[in-house]
Amino acid sequence: MTVEERSAVLSLLNSAHVTEPTRRALLERLDVRYEREFFGEAEFERLRALALRLVPHNPAELNLTGTVDHRLHSGVGDGWRYADALPDGEAYRELLAALPDGFETLDGDAQDTAIHGVQSAHPHAFEDLLAELTEAFMAHPLTQYRFGYAGFADAPEWPRVGPNELEPREVAYGPR
Amino acid sequence: MAPADSLPTDLDILVIGTGAGGAPLLARLASAGLKVAALDAGVRHPPEGIATDEVAQLGLFWTDERLSAGNDPVSFGRNNSGRGVGGSTLHYTAYTPRAQPDDLKLRTEFGVGEDWPLEFSELEPYYDELEYFLGVSGPAEYPWGPPRKRAYRHPPLPLNGAARLMQKACAEIGMKTSPAANAALSRPQEQEGYGTRHTCTNRGFCQAGCSIGAKASMDVTFLALAEAHGARIVDGAQVTALTMKNGRVTGAEFMRGGEVEHLSAQTVILAAGAVETPRLLLMNGLANSSGQVGRNFMAHVGIQVWGQVEDDLRPYKGIPGGLISEDTHRVPGLIGGYLLQSLGVMPVTYATQYARGTLKWGPELVQHLSGYNHVAGINVLGECLPYEHNRLELSDELDGRGLPKPRVHFSFGENEQKMNAHAEALMRELWDRVGARDVWALPRAAHTLGTARMGSNPATSVVDPSGRTHDVPGLWICDNSIFPSSLSVNPALTQMALSLRTADALLGDLKGQAPRS
Ligand SMILES: Cc1cc2nc3c(=O)[nH]c(=O)nc-3n(C[C@H](O)[C@H](O)[C@H](O)COP(=O)(O)OP(=O)(O)OC[C@H]3O[C@@H](n4cnc5c(N)ncnc54)[C@H](O)[C@@H]3O)c2cc1C
Ligand code: SF4
Repeated sequence: MTVEERSAVLSLLNSAHVTEPTRRALLERLDVRYEREFFGEAEFERLRALALRLVPHNPAELNLTGTVDHRLHSGVGDGWRYADALPDGEAYRELLAALPDGFETLDGDAQDTAIHGVQSAHPHAFEDLLAELTEAFMAHPLTQYRFGYAGFADAPEWPRVGPNELEPREVAYGPR
Repeated sequence: MAPADSLPTDLDILVIGTGAGGAPLLARLASAGLKVAALDAGVRHPPEGIATDEVAQLGLFWTDERLSAGNDPVSFGRNNSGRGVGGSTLHYTAYTPRAQPDDLKLRTEFGVGEDWPLEFSELEPYYDELEYFLGVSGPAEYPWGPPRKRAYRHPPLPLNGAARLMQKACAEIGMKTSPAANAALSRPQEQEGYGTRHTCTNRGFCQAGCSIGAKASMDVTFLALAEAHGARIVDGAQVTALTMKNGRVTGAEFMRGGEVEHLSAQTVILAAGAVETPRLLLMNGLANSSGQVGRNFMAHVGIQVWGQVEDDLRPYKGIPGGLISEDTHRVPGLIGGYLLQSLGVMPVTYATQYARGTLKWGPELVQHLSGYNHVAGINVLGECLPYEHNRLELSDELDGRGLPKPRVHFSFGENEQKMNAHAEALMRELWDRVGARDVWALPRAAHTLGTARMGSNPATSVVDPSGRTHDVPGLWICDNSIFPSSLSVNPALTQMALSLRTADALLGDLKGQAPRS
């Protein structure tokens, strides 16, 4: 995250366009780092390598792998799972174990080939993990800034809702 | 004064669940002077605490694990089940179309599905009452269904990008559209027990909770009214068992903060939704002489089609479902039909649906998501027939409270598949006409209905046409589980109508008079 990006995010988050509960949630997420608690060290490294291919990101900026680990450790779920699938944590472990030895050090193309293999062998776990990583990615204030998403700055209102009817704060937010 | 968490005694009525089924009757019974209380597994979520952020709002959803089986496993949680004082209305989109008279007579019309054991004319006065009380915003003339006796209270909400695109595309192929009826305010309204509900600020986050009080969730409407009339609402209280004496229900046992507690009442109304209601009945072995508890689980055909356009749409702005068409209410070759709705969408919901729906990953995924501001959606809501084999049962797996997790089997039948295909083709054509690119479809099933169906015959239904269980004196059910057929409209308004109707029947019983009809 560049200094400019950070200051743009903070200045909108700290403005009167963002309500207090929204600000609290997003400020916390901006810098959150989770210690590994659920996965073993080797599993965690592998998950990180997999996550980088599935949802390309800079792990120094976005702690997607830690977010997944933290969610599993806390035991919070999303309300359902496929009846023929293992509980999320176990299913993810199985998915990781199905990747070839040394997956972490393969080059990108070889990693992608391996990923296609586990995608068809473990479709449910693959889908769940992809969705979970995507959620953590899209919910992050930095991603939102880079995509020019300003929907959280909804106070006091959006007076106009038609196509191309943008407020100054929407126009200003995001990379030039 | 009694401490805030002391429990009421000598209750006339105990209601389990405070959503679209539980809340209206709670208010009606309290207003009639009865001593009433409600238990809800979830906690209170006052508007001022609601964040404009989907992840922060996860607490609105029922996240205890359910197992999804069948050819078309249903995704629960964020997709369809609330937990909180106000139930799923805390995160509903507030679409409030009425059922049409023929929705209630599917078997008569097609020879399959079920008829409802009541007439449209019995629902109509309740629709009139509800739309006024909730403050529904809608068009002066609604183009479908029988002529209305009472106009919508407020003018329609403004149309956002997706709504205008759908309007244009439908016009080109000669389909009629209309601003939708939404239970969200286009003008401020006073609400007894709550105060002033403000005008919708177009923040588009209805499915993550309304921070304004504009949306008619139950907490800012019926539950506020109920409490103003003396109803007690105990939150964070999950019922784990119904208690019985001499074949009559006597109350409910519930867990609150790790403690097991009990409340007694003359009458118990189960309104825990179409998954938890049959789960409780099956765990307790109650009300199931028909063998119908858990059967006929239905979820509307709810396929969505998405695309991206040149225009900067900002799909987070405006009421998400601003435009509707019911021109497909009947389609030759289909049993029943469907309605079309435009869709705004919140970013995380869109992103995760795209990932699950397309299984795209890597740079392609990120590239697509970076176009979020240009996304427009359209979806349908269509009839799902009741099938015996679509059912809820108890699994051997236990949850954190030591209770069996529910397993829900769901497979679309031939009619649902045909409807899905018909709707997808139509929506793709519409989005072609507006020049959308990257168009993709997400087949899905929406809402949870029908696991304790209502009917006149005790051999084939669980509750009678007023909501009394056929088997257990004193036990009533009022939630989406009693729907005999799915209706080709969103369920909440009809659910609230059933709730008021059940309350009137119960008051009629208590007065020893015939129920209002
Ligand atoms: C994202 C989303 C959008 C929707 N949009 C619309 C829409 O636009 N229009 C529409 O008509 N419908 C919509 N719906 C559906 C609508 O919300 C439901 O049809 C309606 O709320 C169902 O009412 P109910 O009473 O059956 O259950 P709910 O409203 O879900 O209420 C059940 C309540 O019971 C509680 N409960 C469950 N088990 C227990 C227990 N054991 N002990 C104590 N309490 C318990 C729950 O916490 C919950 O509060 C939407 C639903 C979702 C998820
Ligand atoms: S769009 Fe309107 S009703 Fe929906 S959450 Fe926003 S203010 Fe509330």
